[in-house]
This record gives sequence, C-alpha cells and structure tokens, in this order.
Amino acid sequence: MSRKLLETDGLEWVQRGVISEAQREQLLTLYPIDGAAIGLLPLLGSLLVGLSALSVVAANWQGLPELVRLGLLLGALLAAYAGGEYFRRRGNLSLGMGLVALGLILFGASIVLTSQLYQLIGYDLTGLLAWAVAGMGLTWLYRSRLLFLLTAIISGVVQGYNTGQLGAFSYLTAIGTALGLGYYWWRRPDALLGGVLAGGLLWQAGLLINHLHVKITWFFIPAMLVYALGDWQADRPAGRALQGPPLGAAFLFTLGLALFGESDFYAGQLRAPLVPYLAALGAVLAVSLVGKQRRGRLGSATDWLLLLPGFYFTGGLPLAVATLVVLYAYSGSVLVRAHQEHNPDRVTLGTVLFVLTTAVAYFKLTWGFLDKSLFFLLGGLLLLGLSWWLRRRAARTLAATAAPVISQP
Amino acid sequence: MSLSAPDSVATAPLAGATPATPGLPARHRRWLIWLVAAQVLFVLGVAVAGYATAALGRTITLQTEPVDPRDLLYGDYLRLRYQISELPGSLWRGSATPRRKQAAYVLLEPRSSGDFEATGVYAEPPITTGQQAVLRGSVQDVWRRGLRLRYGLERYYVSDAMSRHLRQRRRLRVTISIAPWGQARITQVDTLRQ
Repeated sequence: MSRKLLETDGLEWVQRGVISEAQREQLLTLYPIDGAAIGLLPLLGSLLVGLSALSVVAANWQGLPELVRLGLLLGALLAAYAGGEYFRRRGNLSLGMGLVALGLILFGASIVLTSQLYQLIGYDLTGLLAWAVAGMGLTWLYRSRLLFLLTAIISGVVQGYNTGQLGAFSYLTAIGTALGLGYYWWRRPDALLGGVLAGGLLWQAGLLINHLHVKITWFFIPAMLVYALGDWQADRPAGRALQGPPLGAAFLFTLGLALFGESDFYAGQLRAPLVPYLAALGAVLAVSLVGKQRRGRLGSATDWLLLLPGFYFTGGLPLAVATLVVLYAYSGSVLVRAHQEHNPDRVTLGTVLFVLTTAVAYFKLTWGFLDKSLFFLLGGLLLLGLSWWLRRRAARTLAATAAPVISQP
Repeated sequence: MSLSAPDSVATAPLAGATPATPGLPARHRRWLIWLVAAQVLFVLGVAVAGYATAALGRTITLQTEPVDPRDLLYGDYLRLRYQISELPGSLWRGSATPRRKQAAYVLLEPRSSGDFEATGVYAEPPITTGQQAVLRGSVQDVWRRGLRLRYGLERYYVSDAMSRHLRQRRRLRVTISIAPWGQARITQVDTLRQ
C-alpha cells in the first residue's frame, strides 16, 4: 500500500465506516513522506552538468597527461562510492545505490582505460575477473538487488568476452557466479533475483556448450541443474522464478524443433549420445525429485514432461509428432495443474502455451495437404474455438476461487 | 570522505537493500572501505605494471607489416601486424607440433638494421645469450608451412589524428619494452622511410 492511496481513498473509507479517522491518521504515519527525496529538476540538472563534464573529458582524453587521466578515473571512482554512502546516510537509498552502482561501473572502466593508457592489452582475464569479484563483494555488503543484477550482467560480459575474444571458457567465472550469486539468492530468496540468476547462469551454460562444440542438447543438463536448485529452495515464489528461464528455454527449443526440425539439417548437431545424456538427465531428475518431495511439491514434477527426449526420433514426421507430443504433454499439464490450484496467472500461461502448441501442430501437420485458403479458415476456427473453450474454463475456475474471497466480511 | 552509517533509511523498490536493513553496520562499513581501497589499488597496480615495464624493461624494436590504409575499423587504436606475427613453421623448436592457443616463446636477435627478427619459436622459455631477447605470445593458427602468433602488442592506443597520420606511412617501427618478468608493452611507434 502506498501513502498516495491512503491520501486519496482514506477519507472515503472513514465515511463508509471501514476505518475510523484516528486509524486513518495512524495508517498515514506508517507511510511518512520521503523528506529526503530529491526533486526531479535538480537531478536532471546535475545529470546534464555531469554529461557535459564527461564529454569535455572524453573529447580531450588522449591529450591529457597520464597522471591527470589516472587521477580523473580514481577520483570519479572514489567520488561515486563516497557519494553513494552519503546519500544512503541521508536516507536517499535509490540515489545512494545508483551511485554505488556507478562506482562499480567506473571500476571496470578504470581497468580498461588504464590498460589502454599504458598500452597493455592483456589477453588474460585478471582485470575483468577483478571487476566481477568487486561486484559480488558489493552485492553481499549492500544486499542490493540492483548490484546483484549488475554483477550478473558483468559476469556474463566477462564470460562472453573470454569465449568470444580470447577463445577460452573461464570455469572460474562460471563457478564464481554460480556460488557467489547463487548462495546470495539461496540465503535471501527473491523472485526477481531468481530470474536474473537463472538467466545469467543459462547464458554462461550456453557459451560453454558453444565453446566446447558439443551437441546442443547437453545444454539442458546445466539448465535443469539450475531448475533443480529451485526445487530445493524453501521460498516457493523465488524457486519458481529460478525455474522460469530453464523451462522457457526448453519450451522454445522444443517448439523450434517442432517447426524446423524436419529437415534433419541441424539434427546432427542436436542429439547427444543417448545413454550418457539420459544418465546425466536422470541424475538431475533425481536431484530435482528429491527436492520436490522434501518441499512437498511433487505435483510440479510434470514440468519434466518438457524434457522428454522426443528429439531422438529422426527427422521428418516422427520428429515433428514426437516434439508436438512433448509440447502438448507439458502445456496440458500446466493447464490441468493451474485449474487444480485455481491459479489465474498459470491458467493464462497454460492457455497461451496450449494455443501456441496447437498453432504449431496445425501448421506442421496440415500445411502440406490442405488447400491454403482452407488451411487458414480451419486453423483460425480451431484457434478461436480453443481459446473460447479455454477462457470459459478459466472463468469458471476463477469464479470458484473468487467467491470465497468476496464472501468474507 | 566520510563513510559512516546512515541514521535514517527510506525504502526503495529495486535500488535499495531490503527495507529492514538500517544502513551498513560498522563491520560492513569497514569491509566497504577495504573493498573500495582494493579497487583503487588494483587500478594503480595496472598503472604501476605498465610504468614499471617501460622503466625496467629491455627495449627492442620490431618492424610491422604494411598497415592497411583502407582499414575501416580505426578509432581509438591502430591495428599492428608485425613481421614476427606470422612465422615459418621451420622455426618451431618444440618437441610436439604446435597447437592453437598454446603459449609460444619467440627468440629474437637484432639484425643489421637494428630491428629484431625471430630466430626460433619455443614451447618453453629458451635460454638467451648476449643480444637475444624473448617475447611471449600465443599460437593463433597453425597451417602446413607456418603459424600465426599473438603477442598482446597488436593494438596501439592513440588519438584519431595520430592514428590517421600513422596509417599513411605504411611501414612502422615499434619500440617495445620487455620487463624481466615477461610482460611487454609498446613504448613508441615511429614511421619508416620507404
């Protein structure tokens, strides 16, 4: 609840007798006006002044003496951190954390610009690694979501630079990201950070698979390990958020396979050797299931339907049918569970996935032998009918959940 | 600079710490000072390494291959290709055949022009005598008759105007400092008469 809502609607609540005037005032004191908040105009003004100073420095950068350049970098770095602490102390947390984040960015910029200043190119990763480590330290110190996000991005950039420019994968960076940020998230579960962490880890896993030139499907082993971590997390929303990106990746991959897999052109790069792949996936499945069972969420085991290795069927129709079966099994299970749990968001999600799968299935299975106009007509009717039926079911489910809430006094 | 704990704290949705955190406790503040100090020291360390390489290192000169004046990718640095960037495979002195990404030590000797040229490429640091110098690089590419190496000296950061000037002189002489601990950096770039 915000102070604004209290101010606008509070009087009406008093008139209706929901709360008394004294209670309204008590509530208002719970949400004090943020006295230290800086007005927008001074902020924009100082931003412009800062930008002009930055452009003057940037334009004359090469002409400045070495020590002046070094001094400017370090001065800006220290000023950002000191300013961040100053504003946090004044109670202006957003601005304070913004400045600390700026300090972290300036640290990275200082490393790069100082190396250039002394003509050191450095094909090693030490400087960039130091940047990621500093970000991790600041995240732990300030317990800030902004710094967590920034550190996840920095680690991803470091790994991307390393594989792209230096042609090597830094296991240190990957393990450091997983342990440093992963443990932080484990101790302070948070939905947004779960998504950020999973995204960052999947990015690095993707880079690793690409770097090792192994079959693409190996990607799902680290991805589902991230998923399994979500099963062990006690905080349910945070765990679900961590599981979103791996499931999204698996769904998109299967969808792509259903659409384009028949040519068997990519199929050669797809399939990891059957037995090692299934053994590894089975091990991760076991870890995941034990976690689900410990936390009493065995119902969500249906997520694993998406990992059914339908892609081992060889190209053409069998592959398309197998991947569609996987997609239908998954989106159907999402819908069924959403209706059982009376969860409106998941009903919507399940509906979208189901309709998407049906569109792909229709497109794949009928395009070849239906006249084009008939194809579009029937397809449109099918989708309209399906969405109507699903929406009706959703409305019924929601009515069932909404009723007890309204009947409460 | 004062880094004392905040005495009043407002909540912020994304940027802030968890709303209940009453600023940084004293122990964390000390950690923060250490962390910022470490960052400053790291940047200073990069500067000192660069400075010391030039001050304490041994100076050699290398010739570049012609700079491509039509290279569109110029900005704040010039791309340099040395005569020793591509070497014939006969210079390889390692026991096994060279592999990509492998470290390589190039033994250099001065020629009559004063510029240094490669006399051998080793997998381990070779022993030097007299005028010889060793430059550490990494193998980028191997083919039947030769190999391409990278030394970390391929970019020269200069202003746009200087970059454009150097680009017009096709051949350049690059002065390099090699520190006793193996690090190398460019200290000067001159144009060569053609």
